[in-house]
Amino acid sequence: CTNSFLDLAPISNANSENFYRTTADFDLAANAAMATLYTVYGPEGPVSYAGEIQSDNVTLNAVAGIQADKWAYRDYTLNSTNTINYSFWQIYYSALYNVNIVIQKLESASLNEDYKKSVRAQMLFLRSLYYFNMVRTWGDVPLVLTPITAAESYTYARKPQAEVYQQILSDLQYAAENLPLASATTKGKPTQGAAQTLLGKVYLTLNDKTNAARVLKAVYDSKQYSLVPAYASLWSNTNKNTSESIFEIQFLGGSPTSPYSEYYQTFFPAVSYTGYIGGGINQVTNDLWNEYEPGDPRKTASIDTGYVDTKGVFQSIKFPKKWNDKTTPVTTGKVLGLSNFMVLRYADLLLMLSEATDDPTYLNQVRTRAGVPTYGSANYPSGRYGTLALALEHERRVELALEFHRWFDLKRTNRAIPVLTTKGKPTTESKLIAPIPLTVLQQNSIITQNPGYN
Amino acid sequence: QTRTIRGNVTGAGEALPGVSILLKGTQRGTTTDASGRFQLEVPESNAVLLFSYVGYQNKEVTVGSQTELTVELMTDNKALDEVVVVGYGTQSKRAVTGAVTSIGYDQYKDRSFSNVTQSLAGKMPGVNITQAQGAPGLSPIIRIRGVNSITAGTNPLFVVDGVPLENFNLNMINPQDIESVEVLKDASSAAIYGSRGSSGVILVTTKQGQAGRTAVSATFEYGVQEVAKQIKMMNAQQYIDYYVTAKNNGWVAAGGKATDPNSARTASYRIPEDFLNNRQLFGNGTNWQDAMYRTAPLRNAQVSVSGGTDKTQFLFSTAYLDQDAVLDQNYYKRLTIRSNIKSAVSKRLTIGANLGITGINDRTEGTQGKSDVISLALQSTPIYPVYNENGNLGPLDPNSTWNRFVPFNDLVLWHPYSLTRFYHKKNRSFNTLGTAYAEFNILDDLKFRTSINANLFNNRGDSYRVAKQGYGYSSVLDAAATNFSTYSLNWLSENTLNYDKQFGDHKLTALAGYTAQKQRDEYATVGANNFPNDLVETLNAGTVSAGSTTASEWSMLSYLGRVNYNFKNKYFLTAAVRRDASSRFGRNSRWGTFPSVSAGWLVSDENFMSDLKAVSNLKVRVSYGVTGNNQIPNYGAVSLLGSSNYVGNGAIANGLRNTNIANPDLRWEKNNQFDIGLDLGLFNNRLNITADYYNTVTKDMLLNLPVPDITGFSTQLTNIGRMRNRGFELAINSKNVVGSFNWTTDFNFSLNRNKVLKLGPSNAPIIYTEYVVSVKTEIGQPISNFYGYVFDGVFKNQSEIDGYPHDPSTTPGDPRVRDVNGDGRITTDDQTTIGNYQPDFIAGMTNTFSYKGFDLSFLLQGSYGGEIVNQNVRYLGIWNAGRNFYEDLTNYWRSESEPGDGKHFKPTISPKGLQEKFSSYWVEDASFLRVKNIRVSYALPTSWLSKTPVRSARVYVNAENVFLFSKYRNIDPENTTYRPTNYNAISTETGTIGSTGNASFPSGAMIGVDYGSYPLPRVITFGIRADF
Repeated sequence: CTNSFLDLAPISNANSENFYRTTADFDLAANAAMATLYTVYGPEGPVSYAGEIQSDNVTLNAVAGIQADKWAYRDYTLNSTNTINYSFWQIYYSALYNVNIVIQKLESASLNEDYKKSVRAQMLFLRSLYYFNMVRTWGDVPLVLTPITAAESYTYARKPQAEVYQQILSDLQYAAENLPLASATTKGKPTQGAAQTLLGKVYLTLNDKTNAARVLKAVYDSKQYSLVPAYASLWSNTNKNTSESIFEIQFLGGSPTSPYSEYYQTFFPAVSYTGYIGGGINQVTNDLWNEYEPGDPRKTASIDTGYVDTKGVFQSIKFPKKWNDKTTPVTTGKVLGLSNFMVLRYADLLLMLSEATDDPTYLNQVRTRAGVPTYGSANYPSGRYGTLALALEHERRVELALEFHRWFDLKRTNRAIPVLTTKGKPTTESKLIAPIPLTVLQQNSIITQNPGYN
Repeated sequence: QTRTIRGNVTGAGEALPGVSILLKGTQRGTTTDASGRFQLEVPESNAVLLFSYVGYQNKEVTVGSQTELTVELMTDNKALDEVVVVGYGTQSKRAVTGAVTSIGYDQYKDRSFSNVTQSLAGKMPGVNITQAQGAPGLSPIIRIRGVNSITAGTNPLFVVDGVPLENFNLNMINPQDIESVEVLKDASSAAIYGSRGSSGVILVTTKQGQAGRTAVSATFEYGVQEVAKQIKMMNAQQYIDYYVTAKNNGWVAAGGKATDPNSARTASYRIPEDFLNNRQLFGNGTNWQDAMYRTAPLRNAQVSVSGGTDKTQFLFSTAYLDQDAVLDQNYYKRLTIRSNIKSAVSKRLTIGANLGITGINDRTEGTQGKSDVISLALQSTPIYPVYNENGNLGPLDPNSTWNRFVPFNDLVLWHPYSLTRFYHKKNRSFNTLGTAYAEFNILDDLKFRTSINANLFNNRGDSYRVAKQGYGYSSVLDAAATNFSTYSLNWLSENTLNYDKQFGDHKLTALAGYTAQKQRDEYATVGANNFPNDLVETLNAGTVSAGSTTASEWSMLSYLGRVNYNFKNKYFLTAAVRRDASSRFGRNSRWGTFPSVSAGWLVSDENFMSDLKAVSNLKVRVSYGVTGNNQIPNYGAVSLLGSSNYVGNGAIANGLRNTNIANPDLRWEKNNQFDIGLDLGLFNNRLNITADYYNTVTKDMLLNLPVPDITGFSTQLTNIGRMRNRGFELAINSKNVVGSFNWTTDFNFSLNRNKVLKLGPSNAPIIYTEYVVSVKTEIGQPISNFYGYVFDGVFKNQSEIDGYPHDPSTTPGDPRVRDVNGDGRITTDDQTTIGNYQPDFIAGMTNTFSYKGFDLSFLLQGSYGGEIVNQNVRYLGIWNAGRNFYEDLTNYWRSESEPGDGKHFKPTISPKGLQEKFSSYWVEDASFLRVKNIRVSYALPTSWLSKTPVRSARVYVNAENVFLFSKYRNIDPENTTYRPTNYNAISTETGTIGSTGNASFPSGAMIGVDYGSYPLPRVITFGIRADF
């Protein structure tokens, strides 16, 4: 009687003690793990900041929050107390917990082996994607592969990048072997093609072109994907999960209770607009605007040149046009965006394939779709992009503009320092690796700082 | 043979009505009338009369041959036999061995507060009561003997007529119905409340009727409230000057020239043309504080009827408070009804019931700080008028000429009126607190008491946002409405046995009890939009778009026991123990035992003291006890699953994830407290002194311990660490002049030293940050030190920068930050302790003068040595998206030759050089001295009233928060926007519409941080009270 009076189970929250048993439970847990993509790939998330703000594509001026901490990404003045940098660390490890707990609980669950394999493969895809981003951001990082207690966490030092990459490769190989091919029911879920494409990108980053070419070619040969005819249609918020999409984060939008995307509002200039205030993040530089060749339709498909204010006056300012949610419902100052976000798409694969094979065929498929002269043809601006490497650098910049690739591309190809320093960004070798947040160092004394930060 | 004698009775120079007169040896007697006169038949010889009256010494008068008696009663200074309420019973003051402060009705009867604890600020040593925010109905923050927890709540336990209620808002009890308030400060007295006693216990006892004639009393008060001080903000001209400089400096830093026209600048650096060449358009602009504050009336009426027979006594009362708030559109109306009845059914059985019903209608905003409406009154740009030329609110009105300034603002703040006048809100709360009890005398010395008690709280709130809000925030934001309701039922069953027996010189009192208590809280909310127009504001007119209900419960079982023993009424010993089990804790550790022991010695009753005539009372007390703290979330020990949805194949794919780390071993936080105290009465108790020293060690602190983020979580609720509070308290009560003119002084002083002894596994410091404001808790220091850079003024020129360590982004006019560790660089290691909110000491003094029916008293209250963080610096002390600034920023650094006052940075919309970092620029001295209260009252002479039914009448004037001496730039250094606990999802606090409580830090750690708090108004009340 005493215990029945005192044993009060939570009424409005489920209790984790009797969870992780059935496939229904694991479906729910796996969905929650997938939902971590929303923060990692959010418009103000770690991939956006690293991939764009640190690059020459965008800038940001007056923004909400601690402005100096945001400008530090633009200006290469990151330090260990940067609150944004610390929040990114938290975002990644919180996401990893949600992934790792599913992997761990699957071990002991008595469920169909095929089911377990498919869920595990999805989780390993996510985990490798996150570690790939983290290792490119911070260099060596603690490699957490199971849910750990606070006490255990004190024994987790940073692991050398090579070891982290080893884990990424083995996770991705498992994922590639056990994930299904893309189909009508895999929208938003990792597929074999997605795992192979990501694997190709990891190999390229490790400068292993042979393996990169092998896995990327496998995707190419599978003929599951193709370029859509009209580049601009890729960002129509009613045209989701196209044939070009390899891995696409899904949003529903339109209602505050449906997962909605915030790319459009966040990338809108920081002004009060019709019912909402823009975030002013990733404001397009003239440098990117001028990168486009004359007549390249991708310029106006990617970049908006201004907006009409509430008085009907056109205000000139450049900002991203992709993730177009101009006409999407607004509730209490929020644009409830419908747009999805493509982490991997076929054009990216084609360009990587050219990079891995030194064969411009794939590059030219991209250029042909855009309607610009092919590489090697007479009209190609070979004066500016004399080598295939430079041509790819240029092509990736304009084709994948504002999709969080630019800085990672420059870093992969060892071009970040020469390119960015000429554009006024004081980039050095040590600044290509972010500082470990001070709080993290204080939490555990065995964590070390990266060179160049104190 | 009898004869009639007449007489009159006086006391302290006045006629005493109602004095009881008994013919000794008989049951015959009478009482004096309203003018103190009496008449009685007495035997011819040997008649002796006994006079008795509450508060006066009894007197025997031998009549002899007199026919006309004049009797003067002496006031009773023998306070030792006064009864004090303690947990689960009462004791004579003589027998109290713990540290208990008792405040009687007289001390707060004329105060205009709706919450009795507000009247107690500055009156009790060791009890720090701060009115953090001045909105009507808001509870003060009460700290008894320091802060005993880092992240669990630190609210004391409220016990109303025996019912322990956590996070209870005493607004629900009309102060005029309260007989006394007792504060159990030390562990020995609070240990009887076991797991909930560690932050002290406040016992509230409501009045009971007295046998005798039915007494009726009525009170009416009228008061006026106003904000006594405004924060000095820039006017439009000052603002424009600062704005233009900030934009130009920002543009120059971005590579432009200050002379560049708008066409050459990017959007965020553009300046309205009118700012440059049409400044007279703006004049001084709008003072938004004038727009938001008003002089607000309050009315309070009260009637009570009490009386009864020897067998049955009753008290009925009702009161209505109608208070406008000083903030635009806000108000507070409260109706309270009370019925307390007690009846002796038989010689052995007594039953009774107390029932208090309270209904509150209110609208309370402005207490959330940050972007709430009070803060907005400071942040709003002075260039805009309150209403534009079209009668609309904001510049967002597309047809207004003010609309042309919108593109130059980084953001548009809510016009304060759009929140108060175009957002219709109301709250209705009902609270019923009932106790029903039966007392049965099993034997003469053994009494059984059983009671069933319940507190039922309901709160309903509505808000309706008018479409477009008069263009006060947005030109498109459509109408929306929400409705929420809370329900909270707390019931308690209590059964106790009391044994009370005198054996010669030995006296024994024993108590044993068993209680069970449970609370269920429910919350529901519904939201709608798509309203066709603003004619109907209820949700049926729109489309319901959101809804949710939640519920949670806790329960507790307790056994308690106490033994009081005394020998010759001189040597006192008390031992108590309570065992509690709570559903909040893990199954492995849910039972806790809380013992205590205390002893007292009435030294002044010893023979060897009899020669020391000056000493009328001397008692030494010593105690030790253990109390606990259970103020954590209801399900803190379990790992909960929270919703986190994804989208798959075009539909929502539901997801669930763990939201916290489970801790099945979670247990009580325990407080071990030692107390030694002295009560001294001198010169026939003209001078009374009470002094206490205590030492408290808190162990197993319930800590939301920050854990390495690689676990996936940032905190885990766990028991860890150790903290000490030690302190000294002194209360002096002096009757300086006695006679027809009386002057008394009550003085109290307390100091508390708080020190963290042990923290998490690695003893690593704990840092919580809100925006940039950091508080750090580390070993050897008091909790929650403000942690940041030391601001040493402004760099006047480049050579100063070159000659001193600085952040690389620093340019002239940026802050100069001290190189604390002297390594020649400014790094994060240069952050240091820059303050703490805990004062070195607090003190209060009340002086009361009385003469012939006149009473004058004034209360001074002070606090010395604490600091406060002005978090409004974020918005008002640095450029922040075009919000207004403190007026003293006009002395900013302009150039090397015009360096300003050396304290204010160079304005820039791109603040660098650590301008935005947390530094002592944000920290101010929180010491203050306050004239808290002045009261004047006059009792009308009884002769004026003798022809009326009125037996006595009094008129009075009461002034609260009369004057404040403080250096603080904002309104009041007691202001803090954070609350001592953030776990009370549902409490009896009203006015929580739109509350923002989901911070990642425990709210209590941020006490002492002012994020734009509601000012404490000055209140002047006129009252009249009549007794019939």
